[in-house]
Amino acid sequence: MKDICKSVVKKDHDPKIKGETRYLVDYNLTDKGERILCGKLLHSPYAKARVLSVTVPDLPEGYFYIDKTDIPGDNNVNIVLDDTPVFCRDTVEYIGEPIAMVAGPDEKEVDRILSEIKVEFEELAPELDIRNGTKNFFEYEFGHGDVEKAFREADKIYEEEYLTGYQDQTYLEPQGMMAEPEENGVMYVHGSLQCAYYVHGAVMRALGVDASKVHIFQDPTGGGFGGKEDFPSIIGCQVAVAAKKANAPVRCVFDRREDLEFTPKRHPSLCRYKVAVKDGRVTGADCEVIFNAGAYSTLSAVVLQRGIIAAIGVYDIENVHVTGKAVKTNTNPCGAYRGFGAPQTFFAMETMMSHIAQDLGEDSIEFKERHFVKQGDTTSTSGRYHFPVPLPRMLAQVDEMADLRRKHKEYMKAQTGRYRRGIGFSAVFHGAGFTGSGERDFIKATAKLRKYKDGTVEVLASNGDIGQGVRTTFPKIVAHELNLPLEKVYYNHPDTARVPDSGPTVASRSLMIVGELLRRAAIKLRTIWRDNEEQEVEEHYKEPDFMIPFYLDRFEGDAYPTYAWAVSAVEVELDTYTGLSKILGAYGSFDVGTPVDYNIVMGQMEGGFLQGLGYASIEKMNYDNKGRIRNNSFTDYLIPTAMDVPNLQVKLYVEEYPDGPYGAKGAGELPLVAPPAAYIEAVEQAMGGSKRHKLSFIPFSAEDVIHELNKEVL
Amino acid sequence: MNGIRFRLNGKDVCYEGSATDRLLDVLRDTYDMKSVKCGCKEGECGACAVLIDSVLYNSCCVAVGAVEAHEILTVEGFKETEQFKALSKAFAELSAVQCGFCIPGMVLASQALLMKNPHPTKEQVQEGLSGNLCRCTGYNAIVNAVLNASKEGDGLW
Amino acid sequence: MVNGYKPTTLKEALSIRAGEKVIPYAGGTDLMVQNPKEAVYLFLNDIEELREIKEDDKYIRIGAAVTFTEALSSDLVPALMKEAVSRIAAPAIRNAGTFGGNIGNGSDKADSVLVEFAMGASVRLLSEKGERILPVREFCISRRVTAIRDDELIAEILLPKDKCSYSYYYQKVGGRNALAISRVAFAGAYDVRDGVIRDFSAAVLGSGGVFQRYKEIEDLIIGKTVDEFKANRDAYLSAYGEKLTFARGRVSAEYRKTVVLNLIRDYLESVG
Repeated sequence: MKDICKSVVKKDHDPKIKGETRYLVDYNLTDKGERILCGKLLHSPYAKARVLSVTVPDLPEGYFYIDKTDIPGDNNVNIVLDDTPVFCRDTVEYIGEPIAMVAGPDEKEVDRILSEIKVEFEELAPELDIRNGTKNFFEYEFGHGDVEKAFREADKIYEEEYLTGYQDQTYLEPQGMMAEPEENGVMYVHGSLQCAYYVHGAVMRALGVDASKVHIFQDPTGGGFGGKEDFPSIIGCQVAVAAKKANAPVRCVFDRREDLEFTPKRHPSLCRYKVAVKDGRVTGADCEVIFNAGAYSTLSAVVLQRGIIAAIGVYDIENVHVTGKAVKTNTNPCGAYRGFGAPQTFFAMETMMSHIAQDLGEDSIEFKERHFVKQGDTTSTSGRYHFPVPLPRMLAQVDEMADLRRKHKEYMKAQTGRYRRGIGFSAVFHGAGFTGSGERDFIKATAKLRKYKDGTVEVLASNGDIGQGVRTTFPKIVAHELNLPLEKVYYNHPDTARVPDSGPTVASRSLMIVGELLRRAAIKLRTIWRDNEEQEVEEHYKEPDFMIPFYLDRFEGDAYPTYAWAVSAVEVELDTYTGLSKILGAYGSFDVGTPVDYNIVMGQMEGGFLQGLGYASIEKMNYDNKGRIRNNSFTDYLIPTAMDVPNLQVKLYVEEYPDGPYGAKGAGELPLVAPPAAYIEAVEQAMGGSKRHKLSFIPFSAEDVIHELNKEVL
Repeated sequence: MNGIRFRLNGKDVCYEGSATDRLLDVLRDTYDMKSVKCGCKEGECGACAVLIDSVLYNSCCVAVGAVEAHEILTVEGFKETEQFKALSKAFAELSAVQCGFCIPGMVLASQALLMKNPHPTKEQVQEGLSGNLCRCTGYNAIVNAVLNASKEGDGLW
Repeated sequence: MVNGYKPTTLKEALSIRAGEKVIPYAGGTDLMVQNPKEAVYLFLNDIEELREIKEDDKYIRIGAAVTFTEALSSDLVPALMKEAVSRIAAPAIRNAGTFGGNIGNGSDKADSVLVEFAMGASVRLLSEKGERILPVREFCISRRVTAIRDDELIAEILLPKDKCSYSYYYQKVGGRNALAISRVAFAGAYDVRDGVIRDFSAAVLGSGGVFQRYKEIEDLIIGKTVDEFKANRDAYLSAYGEKLTFARGRVSAEYRKTVVLNLIRDYLESVG
């Protein structure tokens, strides 16, 4: 293990474990000593309705009602397209859409006012089913080879349909933002967020002011997982407009029910796959991918792009055709969640491969293995796998941990009795960094180092620590290059008044992209280092020169410079009386390149793995025929506890990436992606395999197991 | 006169508000014990866990009237102890703290467990922490940290 | 205190209960989820008389304010009850939640109440006027509705001592391994001596609204020899299949019914 991999005590360990870290909700007063008004949203009770009138009760002094008419700038939140309003326009488009905010000093009084606001609606028919959605926010199509020919010449053609449900990020700290009007007309907005500069752009637009009049700060953030990528821009605009009207600080913090019901989640999906097999080999795949975007487009374009690029999994397939659609429904807008569209399509492709193998009478591990891509192979978008693909060696690692191959064959044999076992396997990649030429064309990251006279060095970047540890790993890289003790280098939470735009905290990019900029900056600083002087160095992103340019209009070229790889196995014992599956073991081998801190990377892998298992099994959330999400509390939306996956084993496999710092690649999202298909294959195997019970959706609950087993009796 | 008297982190206090107020809100808003986090207000996440007479409770599901004449410990009061230091060191060595929001509750759940059972097995630790949700870590690092603290801090509990 | 009374004796508590409009508060775990506005609580958590586990010649008597954690460390509480309460939620909830609260709030998902049904337990109610002892099946009327009167407090749960040594069967089915509300749970207890089934019970949680126990089926079984019982097992199972009802719910009735019948079958197979 390289020196840089050795774990250190995280920079934020001490204040966090002592409970001294001040999250947004922990401010009693602003830093200037001002009283903070409590802001709460009036949410739409209808999935689609025209707002005819709003009657607000007489407001006591010091209380404010804020809606779209109070927006000084544009009633559009800057995300990808311009369709998400700060406060609803003439119609509401989903249950929970913010109509207005009430702000005032006392929370109970704010609640009373909210309860007395009378809104007259004209109910309209909502669109709730993606199968007959009438509006597609985005549609994409690409491919290579000739799929029609592959189908014509196939020995056998397989067609299946896969469904995946919502998944909520369920960070422990709910969403919240605060805005404070400052002197000279500057609006200071801060809170629990991943992307300070996203909020910056959004607030500028809503207030109709230039960059110098807005100032964003990330407070310590109690988890994000993608959920705080775009949504803080929306609440950020709402509190900014409210603070402007009240001319006082306004804070809006969601309670758990609001957060579960009304904030972005993973897109539910429907994938229709048609696969051609000739001579025991997959020769063609036609993949139709449909994502439920919800009522506004928010991040759906980019989520869908990543999803469809992963549509054929880690396999070398000659003829490919992929279409993708993000369909509008009158439901909560979906957004970013760890994996960003890829968990849905990987689930479909991995399960499809397993079903085909079982139909062909071949062990699915061996079948998949025969189709693994290799270095130099073509990607789904006609780019290239430029670097070694370590899947076979990672599979060997998991086999050793889990006794995978032997058990996989053994459990395939007929089982009887109450308890039956299964073990499933799945292999995936995660494209490192932004999709396509996003880093080069849109993000254009800049990072800085500032050395002070006392010899301390400050990292200046906009990537927020949301638990993943960049407040530790960034300084670690810099200290390493400057040969300084770690205490001499520090990284505060980003403040747009002080730091350059090094891009958002998304796409598993922070360490690989910005970490590398900092490494280069540190080398630069080392060469010009002069004692007792303040010095600053800056680095800008440069696209690696091996990249095949990516064209989004054709989905052609290198969608990612490199890939992180994962192999997972999940072993279950199914109770056929209750449908409960006990996870006997969960095993993963992950290649995220060099771990720039072993413990931190292991924490990411284990945490992501557990989220992936939750996604596949117990994390059930859906909406009813009115478009209302019913699973809006911790008793109805279950995430794994410490007792649910008692045997979770993770190993790292290191395939270094030359353009990442010390060989590091993107890490954060990868571990969530493989477990769902592995879990489903395991449960399916325990039920007798796909010839008896073909499983094709997640989450697959105990109830679904019993429902499926009951079919057998009939 | 009519207030609710209890001990908070070793000091006598008297709360003058309603006996039905949530202990969670009282600790945070009146006594500024900001280590006590609100994750759900329904007793389903453990972020607000505190010790009352050395027993673990979710403070969101306790009305302050119930704690009259009892002794409450939050991390603010626990953090100077040797037991806390042993736990903190073990958590640090495994980087078991990620976003940090569940951590004060997790630390108190660990303390409650170790006081009852100074040498728990892995399964006992998992059960002891089963009411404290963590979305970041997958629990491995936290569970192992508690096991390490129990070994290295032998004699403290 | 404001909006609350905190008596230290039962006598005092009963007098407040008789004279004021109060909500009895024991552990708070259920009550505080809503924490209804305008509530005035009668705190029972520090009344020693309600915190004891005792036995007399007929009963194991569990005080209403005894917590699940306390029951788990008691030598008097029978294994079936311990098994059920050990699976409730998680430590912090078991430390607070009480036997009185579990039955008093009228939840149809109360794990300790299921065992009380299976064991034919009773509830001892006290008021200033005196005491009433009601079988649990009469006390629990329907979801959120109990037979308690406005001036009464639950004092004790009475578990028949002779049934504490029975063989038993218990299964809880929740949504995950901890912090899970029962979707279905099943408790049964039986006594076999000299090849004859002397006593038999089977109680079901998860039908939606009520706990279910069918005396008429049990009566068919009690008194049979083990051999007779085994010969008729399928008939008993189908009798349960016909009797049990399942209301619609978030978790489907199909699921709950299938699981309950699977568990009853397993239970019937374990008897003898």
